[in-house]
Amino acid sequence: MKNDTPLLEVKNLDVRFAVRGGDLTALRGISFSLDKGERLGLVGESGAGKSVAAFSILNLIARPGYIAGGQILFEGRDLAAMGERELRRIRGNRIAMIFQDPMMTLNPVLSIGTQMVEALKAHRRISTKAAREIALSKLRKVQIPSPEKRLDQYPHELSGGMRQRVIIAIALLLDPEIIVADEPTTALDVTIQAEIMALLLDLCEQEHVALMLITHDLGVVSQVTQRMLVMYSGRIIEQGPTREIINDAQHPYTQGLINALPQMGEPGARLFQIPGSMPSLKNVPTGCPFHPRCKFATDQCRQTMPEYVRSGNVDVACYEVSNLIEQEKRMQEAGS
Amino acid sequence: MLAFLVQRISQAALVMFVISVIAFAIQDGLGDPLQEMVGMSVSQEEREALREELGLNDPMVVQYLRFAGKAIQGDLGKSYFYGKPTLTVIAEHLPATLELVIGASLIIMFLSVPIGVYAAIRPQEWLAKFFMGVSTVGISIPVFLTAIVLIQIYSIGVTVEWFPEDTGWGQWLNGALSTEGGMPSYGRGEDLTYLFGTWNSGFFTERGLMHLVLPCISLASIMLPLFIRLIRAEMMEVLQSDYIRYARAKGLSAARINFLHALKNTMLPVITVGGVQIGIMVAYTILTETVFQWPGVGLMFLEAITRSDIPLIVAYLMVVGLIFVVTNTLVDLIYGLVNPTVKLTGKKA
Amino acid sequence: MTTATLSRWDRFRESFLWYSFKRDKVAIASFVVLVLMVLAAIFAPLLAPTNPYDLAQINIMNSELPPVGMQGADPAFPLGTDAQGRDMLSTILYGTRVSLLIGFGAVVLQAALGILFGLLAGYLGGRVDSILMRIADVQLSFSTLMVAIIVGAVFKASFGNLMFGEIAIYMLIFIIGVAEWPQIARTVRASVLAEKKKEYVDAAKVMGFRTNRIMFRHILPNTLSPIFVIATVQIANAIISEAALSFLGLGMPETQPSLGSLIKSGFDYIQSGSWWITLIPGLVLVVLVLVINLLGDWLRDVMNPRLYKG
Repeated sequence: MKNDTPLLEVKNLDVRFAVRGGDLTALRGISFSLDKGERLGLVGESGAGKSVAAFSILNLIARPGYIAGGQILFEGRDLAAMGERELRRIRGNRIAMIFQDPMMTLNPVLSIGTQMVEALKAHRRISTKAAREIALSKLRKVQIPSPEKRLDQYPHELSGGMRQRVIIAIALLLDPEIIVADEPTTALDVTIQAEIMALLLDLCEQEHVALMLITHDLGVVSQVTQRMLVMYSGRIIEQGPTREIINDAQHPYTQGLINALPQMGEPGARLFQIPGSMPSLKNVPTGCPFHPRCKFATDQCRQTMPEYVRSGNVDVACYEVSNLIEQEKRMQEAGS
Repeated sequence: MLAFLVQRISQAALVMFVISVIAFAIQDGLGDPLQEMVGMSVSQEEREALREELGLNDPMVVQYLRFAGKAIQGDLGKSYFYGKPTLTVIAEHLPATLELVIGASLIIMFLSVPIGVYAAIRPQEWLAKFFMGVSTVGISIPVFLTAIVLIQIYSIGVTVEWFPEDTGWGQWLNGALSTEGGMPSYGRGEDLTYLFGTWNSGFFTERGLMHLVLPCISLASIMLPLFIRLIRAEMMEVLQSDYIRYARAKGLSAARINFLHALKNTMLPVITVGGVQIGIMVAYTILTETVFQWPGVGLMFLEAITRSDIPLIVAYLMVVGLIFVVTNTLVDLIYGLVNPTVKLTGKKA
Repeated sequence: MTTATLSRWDRFRESFLWYSFKRDKVAIASFVVLVLMVLAAIFAPLLAPTNPYDLAQINIMNSELPPVGMQGADPAFPLGTDAQGRDMLSTILYGTRVSLLIGFGAVVLQAALGILFGLLAGYLGGRVDSILMRIADVQLSFSTLMVAIIVGAVFKASFGNLMFGEIAIYMLIFIIGVAEWPQIARTVRASVLAEKKKEYVDAAKVMGFRTNRIMFRHILPNTLSPIFVIATVQIANAIISEAALSFLGLGMPETQPSLGSLIKSGFDYIQSGSWWITLIPGLVLVVLVLVINLLGDWLRDVMNPRLYKG
């Protein structure tokens, strides 16, 4: 654990959606931090609130969503309380974002060059010519074939993989501190997913950019991130060093996720499945949101939300885990 | 580009063919050229001979081909009422209608885009809600009723003092909006400027413009709310798209996002609809011109119907059909030029 | 099909439609006004003080009397009289009846044509689709009002004034119905194309159902809500189209007036100061069309939640 302040620190973030008949809570008490150059994974099923978390870092939640509480501290300044003008200086410039679907991300009626140059011009006093030079150099970095040609092309003239390369190039344009990548390869062909992911990781390492990788693919997270967060129903239920969690997951949900990985099962055997499905935001159960699917669930789990407990370097929100830790402690005391 | 052009033009030719067949059928079914040419006194035999001579006993296809051949050469017959070639009659009336359409289109363009965009960007503000409310009422008022009400207001007599009397423009506006010497509501007036051919324009004199105001407003009144609603709806949809959110994530200014990223995507479908609406506007000129006794092709067409002036009706159909087809084709071509995702080259992307 | 429609309708009522209707004051007010107008039109023969079709009840001496509240008004004629001495209240009640009848009739016809052609185009695709949609395109680019005016003019020229007057209601229903079918056909086609991709259609095919059974019993019920939204707005459009045709003298004769022909007949007298002959039926027409449009807007917003999702 380092002592200096982290690059990004999210504290107790609550995000809600104002809909007919009251608010829905999308994120509840989210806290985590990201250091310079670190690679952080955020995993969970779809609907767990991963994308909302990603967008909230840039304070870009679409209406009717809003930040209901908490802080997003970037270099000590709170993005959640910042005005639109100041936020604009950070967006794209200090914190860049990569969206899920490259087919939908680029504006269809503007050329690639325009969309790259405008990003540079929004943050730097720079001539169009110089901006095009920078754009070109970044396109070379993402290894796009004949980059000069691409600047004058329109998004529909590029394949999905190429578009995602362009988007990675745009993310790198202003040498940001952080890149938030929201499922950057999910919408791509399986054959090029690994290629794009490797490119993204390489570049982040080369340029010393911190990466927050949002994905439902536990395999990717286990391979490339240093720390990970596991989200369930708008809560972080477990977070810590990736290797520790993968090797010895504490929360029953995380255990389930890991056991469901194909490489965990015997060849030919049925894959493990967590029974049931994640509750929708409209009817989150009381207590621990995972309790209806959990084999360890007790009355306590059904009534109150568990606090975080520390097991090794991992923070877990689970009564079963905290009870086990208690037990262990008592046994050690009894033994000594 | 060439393939696209050829495809669109052949489509247009096909549509014109269909229209000409319909026009021919109307002429054939309703018009009896003999009735007009000769009186009752002519004997049956002479009639028969004349029919033969005129080729009225030829097979339909031959008659159609003759009709189409003449039409291509600009001969659509003579008007019963005017005693002149129908195309000459139409050419004399067309400028008045075109000026009406141009005037109304200008009003629509300059009002619908800012209002629609504003209502999309700030949907919660009372002014936006007010505009949308007025638009809903607007599309519910038939265009001829708007015209009648406008005339009615100016025939009762009003004195407008909304603008400061001590400034030149205020005085002018007050005078123009007041009825004394105010807005004329019948015809095009006398003060027309000769441009070329049969075109006498009302755009270049104060009186001529005054005559245009009420007819243009009432013609615009039906389209304006439609365009405002369309632009607002398109823009709101665009504003929710991923690429707009991405533009925000890049840290672009709100102005650039709204007026470049969003507006360009909004206007593309609006262009297509706009082309169709121009056609619809030509139909509405019939109503506006009737109320204002505006000497354009709409009024001429309606008079031709009451006078059973079949050749003129047929010629009107052909000309209006041609106008529709040409504007639609032009709009498609412009759309193809503006929208990069339409492949004009025919080359695979 | 009735049961499928009904249960769908019930589901709507129980969930969202009814809920948002109760919360929307504009929708409630529009609905109430519309129901009142429809009832007044249906019961016009009972409500109207006189029968405007009955020449014996008309006295030319009563012509151009102003509405109550103005000088020279006769309390027997609360909304005044027209140039022929007919009671305006009665003619408006009967006129609303005619306008609504033509509006509904034309929409029923265009819905029938539109659903049939839309289903055929969307489900069969290929050549049928391209021919039908080309016709629809041409007709739409020519504008429905123009098509209606031309068809009306041709009919009028071929039937003659008197004959046309007698069958005007059916003619107008036919003209407007035929002129407007592409609107509904396009909507139906679009939803059929969307529905066709779904699995239940494949399932029906695998089970060996015939084409028309799949189209009408399986696909159609799932395209009903957009049809419903469009049809509502189309009633308003049909009423306006009828008024426009009548105003041009291509619609209802003055002896059997609709709101449009009332406006037309009053237009000749507006310069002499008898504004009520034109403007009162005009106001009724605007209110009628407006409440239908407002209901249509509301329906579209409720049934198409895409506009509201964040």
